[in-house]
Amino acid sequence: MIGLLSSQSKLIQGAPFAGPPWQRAAALLALALLAQITVLHYFTFRNAECSPVLVVVVWYAIASDFRRATIFGVCAGFLEDALSGGTGGAWTASTAVTAFFTAMLSRSFFSDSIPLLAAILVVATLLRNAIFWWMMEIQGYPTGVGYVHFHQTLWQAGYNALFMIASVLFSRYYVKGARE
Amino acid sequence: MTALIALIQLSAARGIRTSPLTSLTADFTSLFELVVGTATSELRSQVREAASVPHLWGENALLRAENRRLSAENSRTQAMLAAYSAEQALQPVIDESARAIPSRVIGFPPENELEVATIDRGARSHVSRDDGVLNGDGVVGRIIQITPFTSRVLLITDYTSTIPAVVQRGHWWCIVKGNLNSLHLEYVSQDAHLRIGDRVVTGEARSFHSGALIGRIVRIERTDAGLYQTAVVRPAVEFGSLDRVVIVPK
Repeated sequence: MIGLLSSQSKLIQGAPFAGPPWQRAAALLALALLAQITVLHYFTFRNAECSPVLVVVVWYAIASDFRRATIFGVCAGFLEDALSGGTGGAWTASTAVTAFFTAMLSRSFFSDSIPLLAAILVVATLLRNAIFWWMMEIQGYPTGVGYVHFHQTLWQAGYNALFMIASVLFSRYYVKGARE
Repeated sequence: MTALIALIQLSAARGIRTSPLTSLTADFTSLFELVVGTATSELRSQVREAASVPHLWGENALLRAENRRLSAENSRTQAMLAAYSAEQALQPVIDESARAIPSRVIGFPPENELEVATIDRGARSHVSRDDGVLNGDGVVGRIIQITPFTSRVLLITDYTSTIPAVVQRGHWWCIVKGNLNSLHLEYVSQDAHLRIGDRVVTGEARSFHSGALIGRIVRIERTDAGLYQTAVVRPAVEFGSLDRVVIVPK
């Protein structure tokens, strides 16, 4: 889907797309999703679980334009909704909005520094979870449960930031170092 | 000199006694015999050991390989035993209901936002919405979503889970609500004399038959001003190691 729309957006925008290929992003998303529904459940702390899916979405949103980022966010959120059970379209909407705002935000600066990436991820986690619980309340979930999960959200933001830092360091020193 | 020595030896032989020269020579050489004999014996044992080293290497390698094989077999046996024990733990639950459907937990929600588990039975296995799910320890949850091959179980620890329950000792009715890692017993009459350790079981309701164990009371919260008293219940099921469950259609 992203591949089809990317060819259209290339004509509209006029500049060649220089971000990561959507196939790589899709493969990373699939791996992250598989890890989250199976293995990572057993590595929760304070009931918070690291979200590699959000890390992949933020990474793609930073590296690409807002149109591709939003589509990628919609796909990632839809898959999470399909595998969650009882969340309706909450993850779809929250992940899409988060990807959109991350892509818009990253246009105004060069987001290459690790602390900046970690900060973006923390904000993205808080924003996404806030939208998610708001959407759940709209869909009929008991009011106020989102506030109960706020502590969990803070922990998840920390884990996501650590995961992003580890992934960036691994990519810089091992993957690129091996290629050289 | 020679004649003297010969004379002494002959004299001793004729007198059937040990010649002093013989005795002196024997004592003197025995010392050397002892040293040489000890050294020779030690050398022989060392040589024997050195000769057996190649054989020991081969035997050691065989024993290591056998040890690895037996360790792997032991691990497999332990895993089979654990699986068999888990299946056997479900047998009383399966025997209670003719339509019980054994199942396994295969996944969890991606973001851990809800206390839900995915199991490997769905509509094709005649699973219905709101069917109760139990395991060998007690109540696990109820079915909230069904696909042809899988189902999602809302665990009793979820915030939205509410189960009609009974404190078994005094048959006091109450509602059990999920509270993430524990359960909250609510709407218990002020007349009920709850005790720590009381068993809390399901009441007859939409998803469960009565009598299935939910947990035990660990703390009682009672105020004189309240209409009802509440309590905290520790679930009977270990949700951290949830694996095999049974769907019990009602």
